[in-house]
Amino acid sequence: MQFLGKDIPSPLTLASGILGISFSSLQRIIRDGAGMVTTKSLSLEPRIGHEGPIIAEFEGGLINSVGLTNPGIHDGLLEVEKFHKEFDGVSIVSVFGGNATEFVRLSEAVNHSNADFLELNLSCPNVEDEFKRPFALMPEKITEIVAAVKSVSQIPILAKLSPNAYDVALMASLAEDAGADGITMINTLGHGMVIDAIAKRPVLRNNFGGISGPCIKPLALKLIHDVYQKVQIPILGTGGVSNGLDAVEMMMAGASAVAIGSAVYERGLDVFKITRSEMEAFMAQHGYSDYSDLIGILQEN
Amino acid sequence: MKRDRQTIPIAAIREENSSLRTFTFETSLKAMPGQFIMLTIFGQGEKPFSILDVTKTSFSMTIKKIGPLTERLFQMQVGELVSIRGPYGKAFSTRTDRVLMVGGGYATPPLRFQAKTLRELEVNYLVNINGARSQADLLYVPDFDDYCDRSLIATDDGSLGHKGTAVDVMDAVLSEESFDYIYISGPERMMKAAVEVARKYEIPFEVNLERYMKCGVGICGSCVMDPNGFILCVEGPVVDSIKIDQLEEFGVSHRDKTGRIVAL
Repeated sequence: MQFLGKDIPSPLTLASGILGISFSSLQRIIRDGAGMVTTKSLSLEPRIGHEGPIIAEFEGGLINSVGLTNPGIHDGLLEVEKFHKEFDGVSIVSVFGGNATEFVRLSEAVNHSNADFLELNLSCPNVEDEFKRPFALMPEKITEIVAAVKSVSQIPILAKLSPNAYDVALMASLAEDAGADGITMINTLGHGMVIDAIAKRPVLRNNFGGISGPCIKPLALKLIHDVYQKVQIPILGTGGVSNGLDAVEMMMAGASAVAIGSAVYERGLDVFKITRSEMEAFMAQHGYSDYSDLIGILQEN
Repeated sequence: MKRDRQTIPIAAIREENSSLRTFTFETSLKAMPGQFIMLTIFGQGEKPFSILDVTKTSFSMTIKKIGPLTERLFQMQVGELVSIRGPYGKAFSTRTDRVLMVGGGYATPPLRFQAKTLRELEVNYLVNINGARSQADLLYVPDFDDYCDRSLIATDDGSLGHKGTAVDVMDAVLSEESFDYIYISGPERMMKAAVEVARKYEIPFEVNLERYMKCGVGICGSCVMDPNGFILCVEGPVVDSIKIDQLEEFGVSHRDKTGRIVAL
C-alpha cells in the first residue's frame, strides 16, 4: 500500500515518543514489522525532559509526562541519516517548536536530511508550564504554524492534533486549508492523574500526564471518523491501538495508516509483527485483499 | 494494564561505608540476581537500583550516594515512605558447574546475590574475585567467604589482597584453573577488560550493564543500545557473551539524558 505517495509494507507505524531516540531502535521496529517509524519530537535544543516517574499505569492504560526528552534537531537528524543508510524504511520526523519561527527553522533543518515526512507536534500536553496552551487547541496557531512550515518544507507535512480541542474536525480542516498534507491524530488525552493513596500524592513526578492506551481508543475512533468526513488529506490514526482488530477498526473509521505507542509496553516490540498478522487474518477471513480496502468503509447506522 | 507499584516504608538502613548504605524493605519481591527495581522518592524523582538480596518477606539494595535522589535517600529515616516497582530486567543465568565471578567497586551487590543463589542451588565450584580501590571500599567480604569455595580480593592500593585490579587476578586464576562460566559486574571499562580475558580463555560469560534508564519497561528509549536497538532495561541488564559482541557501543559510548551519544 501507499501513504502520501510512499510505498509501505504495512500501515502500522511507530507513534512518536516511544523508543524513538536512536536509529537502532527505529530500524529494529521496521524489521519487527512496522511500515513507518516516527521519531521522538525534536526541538531546536536538546531537552532532558521531566524527572521520573514519567509513566504511571492504571486499569485503562498509561499516563505519561516525558516532557519532550530529545537530543535536539542536530543530533536527532544524525540518527535519521543513520536510519536511512543502507536501510529500507519510511521515516516521519516529529518536531516541536515554541512558535512558528522555531517550527520553520526545524523544518528547514529537516529539509537537509533524508526524512520522508515531517510531523508537527502541535499537541504535546506535557510542557504547558513552559509553552502554555498546546497550539492544537488554538485555531489561529494551527493556521499560522502549518502555513509557515508549508512555505518552506520540501517534504509532506503531517499536523498532529489533540483530542482536547472542542472541535477537532474544524482543527483538521484548518490544518488542511493551511497546506497540511496529512493529519496525525490523536495525541494523548487530558491531562490525567494517577494517585498513590498511601503516599497521598500523584504518581507522576510532574503530577499530571497525557492519557494513552485502550481507554482512549473509542475517542480516537470517533474523532478520526469526524475528521475523515471533513478533510480530503490522509489520516495517520493513533490512540489505544493494541491489536489487529483495533487497527482494522481505526482504518474503517478513516485512518490510512495506524500508529502504535502504549501497546509496546503491554505487548513488547513484537506488537508490530503480531498486530500485522492479526490484521491479515481478519482481512483474509472477511475478504479484504488490500489494507487500503479498509480505509473509511465504516457505515453509520 | 498491570499495576506493579508498591508504596512502602524503609524497614532498615545499614551503613556499608562512607558512601554506601543498604536499605531493606519488608515486602516480598520475586527477584533474581541482576534484576533491578525502580525506586521513587516522592517529590524528588525515580531511579533504577540493583537488588542485593531477597528473603521470603523482604528485599534489600545497596545504594551509593551519587546524585540528588540518592542524597535525598541518605537523609531519609526508617519508616519513611518510598515507592517501588519491579523487579525488572533479565537476571543472571544459574550455572552450577565451575563458576567464576569477577566484581568491581559498588557493582558487586548483584554478585553477592548471585553467589548466595548459586550456593543454594549447590553449585559445584564457585570462585569470586572482589575488586575495589582499597580495603575500605570492599563490600561483603565475609559473605563471599561464606558462599564461595575461594574468595579472592584485589585492591588498587594493595591495602587488602592482591595489589592490582580484579581483572589481573582473573587472568591469573584462569591460567591455573578451568571454569565453565564467568559472571562479571563492575564499571564498564573493567568489564570490557574482563571480557577480553574471558575471550582469551574461551569461556562463556555474562556481564551486568548499566545505561541511563527512565521508564524501566522498554518504551522510553533512553537505554537502547546501538547498533541493533537492544533495549537494556527489558532485554538486559545482564547480557551474555554472544549478544555482547553485537553491542558495538559496549566499552565505547553511551547516551546522555537527552539521547545524545557521548564517549564512555
